[in-house]
Amino acid sequence: MRCVRIWFKKMGMSRYVSHLDLMRAMTRAIRRAKVPLWYTEGYNPHPYMTFSLPLSLGMESLCESMDIRIEGESTNEEIFDMLKGSMPPGIEIISVDEPVYDQKYICYGEFDVFFDCDKKAESVKALIEDMLAQDELIVQKLGKKGRHKVLKDINLIEFIKSYSVSAMGERVKLTITLPAGSTTNVNPSLLADEIVRNAGDISYTIVRKKLMTENMEIFR
Amino acid sequence: MISKEVQKILPLVQKPGRYTGGELNSVVKDKTKVDLRYAFCFPDSYEIGMSHLGIKILYSLANARDDVWCERVFAPWHDMEAEMRKRNIPLFALESGDALTEFDMIGFTLQYELSYTNVLNMLDLAGIPVRSSDREGLTPIIVGGGPCVCNPEPMADFFDLFMLGDGEEVTNEVMDLLIRCKKEGTTKGEFLKRAAQIGGVYVPSLYDIAYNADGTVKSVVAKENAPERVTKRIISDLDSVHYPDKFVVPFVEVVHDRVVHEILRGCIRGCRFCQAGFIYRPIREKSAHTINEQCKRLCESTGYDEISLSSLSTSDYTHLEELMGKLLEWTEDYKVNIALPSLRVDNFSEQLMEHLKKVRRSGLTFAPEAGTQRLRDAINKNVTEEEMLRTARNAFSGGWSSVKLYFMLGLPTETYDDVAGIAELAQKVVGEFYTNPDRPKGKGVQVNISVASFVPKPFTPFQWAAQDTIDELINKQNHLLSSVKTKKISVSYHKVNISFLEGVFARGDRKLCNVVEYAWRHGCKFDSWDDSFLFDVWMQAFVECGVDPLFYTSRKREYTEILPWDHLDYGIRKQFLIDENEKALEAATTPHCRIKCAGCGTNRLNGGKCDALCQNMV
Repeated sequence: MRCVRIWFKKMGMSRYVSHLDLMRAMTRAIRRAKVPLWYTEGYNPHPYMTFSLPLSLGMESLCESMDIRIEGESTNEEIFDMLKGSMPPGIEIISVDEPVYDQKYICYGEFDVFFDCDKKAESVKALIEDMLAQDELIVQKLGKKGRHKVLKDINLIEFIKSYSVSAMGERVKLTITLPAGSTTNVNPSLLADEIVRNAGDISYTIVRKKLMTENMEIFR
Repeated sequence: MISKEVQKILPLVQKPGRYTGGELNSVVKDKTKVDLRYAFCFPDSYEIGMSHLGIKILYSLANARDDVWCERVFAPWHDMEAEMRKRNIPLFALESGDALTEFDMIGFTLQYELSYTNVLNMLDLAGIPVRSSDREGLTPIIVGGGPCVCNPEPMADFFDLFMLGDGEEVTNEVMDLLIRCKKEGTTKGEFLKRAAQIGGVYVPSLYDIAYNADGTVKSVVAKENAPERVTKRIISDLDSVHYPDKFVVPFVEVVHDRVVHEILRGCIRGCRFCQAGFIYRPIREKSAHTINEQCKRLCESTGYDEISLSSLSTSDYTHLEELMGKLLEWTEDYKVNIALPSLRVDNFSEQLMEHLKKVRRSGLTFAPEAGTQRLRDAINKNVTEEEMLRTARNAFSGGWSSVKLYFMLGLPTETYDDVAGIAELAQKVVGEFYTNPDRPKGKGVQVNISVASFVPKPFTPFQWAAQDTIDELINKQNHLLSSVKTKKISVSYHKVNISFLEGVFARGDRKLCNVVEYAWRHGCKFDSWDDSFLFDVWMQAFVECGVDPLFYTSRKREYTEILPWDHLDYGIRKQFLIDENEKALEAATTPHCRIKCAGCGTNRLNGGKCDALCQNMV
């Protein structure tokens, strides 16, 4: 038995597949691929499977990963070949590797936020730059207080590790690095929603591009 | 692909995965290369509709043709509908994202009466007039099928045609005709006239109904050469009929998320309350070999880890042992669980339970239906108390510690003693647990009673019976609750208002079409969902339309009365139903079809053949 990390993209309509639904879909994909899964040896055997940081519903990603335990002598390339043709639509396998870091070392995420702005791309770009140049950008975040969930005010600026803004035709692209992981996590939609509130009738999509460790090394 | 407009509203609604399409094994074709586009609609939410076997079979069957593209459509949930209406987005099919108006044929499966308002709502959401007479063009043609079309009269004004019985062959025949008529450029009237000549096709507009002064049907007259009686279709050989080798696998969790296999059609039992037990006759079994092969293919193409062997009474399948043996050869290694719903208490063998123990354990559910032997005899359930207790004993010895029991309230001839008998029977099951030395150690027992309200249905021996009133049913529920003396027994029951409305439509006539439309126009939809059910609006609809609902529910019919569904032929002889009803009143039972043919008459639909009869002759 050994552990492998499966890397995949989740793009297009599959962004509306929730984390729980994704786990089920991937279990079935692995079954269809006939990957020699290792099953727990308890009373109710089940495969071992864990995902890196759950992705918010509606977000696309180029850097999703899932760890599974397998039996037998199959190489990573063989596992890759088995899985390649079995993925549900919208999920694309990138590679199968040995895990390097434990999932708990994920600290940051880099995201592209695309705003569809019709004719006002330049003014939206200027607006975003102005908003991010301030010292304070207060938004409400759903946090925990003991057992209860409460809305907390947070200053987004404090959490932004780096960003850049560019206008491309009718779209504005904001590339931003924010804390991501089990200790601190800031969802880029908090910022995107705030921008939409200020800019008026525009819509956006978010792509998670990479996850990083505390030292800004790519999570592998 | 769904449109940009729809994509914009997806972030605003719950479970957007229900509206995106693009699931594994969904079928996408080039719309310019097909002759007919068919939208198969299930008038309820995605989670319910995607659990339904019929839609999987007919979707696969239609898409197996090169000249047809069949797509799926479900009722959008309230939040999605509100966003769609706000932005004038028409109802669309999941595969292409195209509006329903672009389709040639729109089919609804009518599985239960309380989905009727959703049919109207879905048509309206697509911008299609709800009444057949308001739709002048040849396409889209609105068709209906499913068990409720054995009395489709309350929906007669909205549909262009209904397909009675098994859908596999007649669907193809209707599509063939529609393709021909499109090419010839015929009118809708001409198409319907020709469609009425296809066996099993009922075109309601070709039948004039006259009523007596008391509201009962006076006469039904067929026009334009349509047959006087429309006979339902049956598939003779289940082994050779189309069965999907792929199911669409939803991302969103649906109610029944697994491989489902229909192992037999029909039922040998003849329980007198059960409509399915009569309208799906005669009995036809599929061979163990075919089922095994098809299950294997489905598991491989879907990745599901559970197979449900489905039928009206799974333990009556003659080759069950053989089938379980074949399945277990590969399912154990492949970690596939086998579920056997609809087992009977009288033939649930120890051997079968041993098989079940090899796969993952699920709950055990049995349906005694009534609390006393007298009432079980009256409904012809043919199960004794001793058989039930023995089964419970076996189950407890086998390690189960909770059992679910299904009952009905409001059955014909029921008394308050019968109601109290439900609690007494459950109490005996509890007792069986504690007197069993092999019971699971360190566990308590839990007996869950689920009580439904009985609704008399067409084509059953109780089709003439009066349904209990709402007040009577509530009294009986309260009597049952007060008869349960221990926390080891829990009771859950249905809302009686919903059963009342179901009863109106089950045995309704065409006068109810106005009521359905009024209720829908005043906000009724998703009526089978407790939270969405607007009883007051329905009652207002009856008043406004001048229709008395009690005429349909509380009235005992005479055998001589012309019933609204008498011109539809499901193969069952009326005299057989009358005899069965008379026997019910005397609490006399009828043995099941393998012991002795009861002469229901349905085998004439199958050239005299019936799989129950064959067994007898061997």
